[in-house]
Amino acid sequence: MARKQYDNPKAEMTPMIDVVFQLMIFFIVTIKQEDIFSKLNANRPAPNASSAQSEENDTQIKIDIGKGGVVFNGRGMSFPALDANIKKLAASSTKSTVLVRCTLDSPHGFLVHVLDICNKYKMYNLSIFSM
Amino acid sequence: MAKSRNEDVSLDMTPMIDVVFQLIIFFVVTLKMSDDKDTTIKLADGKNGIVLTQEELPPSQLTIDVAASGRVSMSNITMSDAMIVDAVKKRVNAYGTDFPCMIRADKNTQHKHVAKVMNLCAAAGMWKVSFVAIQEHKANK
Repeated sequence: MARKQYDNPKAEMTPMIDVVFQLMIFFIVTIKQEDIFSKLNANRPAPNASSAQSEENDTQIKIDIGKGGVVFNGRGMSFPALDANIKKLAASSTKSTVLVRCTLDSPHGFLVHVLDICNKYKMYNLSIFSM
Repeated sequence: MAKSRNEDVSLDMTPMIDVVFQLIIFFVVTLKMSDDKDTTIKLADGKNGIVLTQEELPPSQLTIDVAASGRVSMSNITMSDAMIVDAVKKRVNAYGTDFPCMIRADKNTQHKHVAKVMNLCAAAGMWKVSFVAIQEHKANK
């Protein structure tokens, strides 16, 4: 039975192969590659706890983010400069808490950049405040 | 010459069709047709973050999108403040505070919109949030 089917030269394969190729081309064209994503973990402490906590502990690093850029140790600086500063601090200890304080009109990209630099030097104790 | 080739019935098509079907099944399975996220969002770069693999995205994860305009959405559905609190509360009740709560915010989003979402999460009992960034650019745009 099976052999008889194989021998039948009248089975027309051409339309099926045409359709199959059309489908293949469609899927090859519509497929798109995705970016590789990463995540940056951070804590969001209660707003009222922030002021009481920041007074006593001096192992905290404070980074302020404004509309125009980053302020660290009271000085405005570029991201590479901040990178160098965090590197120095991380060399002594990566345990200290980093307080990132953002103004309400600062772009989110700056915050992500700062968190990324902290992650680079294995500082994972990150808290975000808004002001 | 052409006629004699046409009459050659010994040409076996089966392996080729098998391969072609395999390819089609591969593309059907890997293709994602619908967008379940806000595609207007342009993420910032974060090369040093934890790479989001399939293991980092358990079914318990919650992703909140914040567009540059301040539109807050989940699965591309615009959410009100109360709806966000509700959704986060449900996760907290089901999984505790160990599930990944991820915020996909545009790099140009003003911080106040992100702060609002973080405050809503905190109001629902979720203090730990993660920001999604791009580890490596692959999409050809």
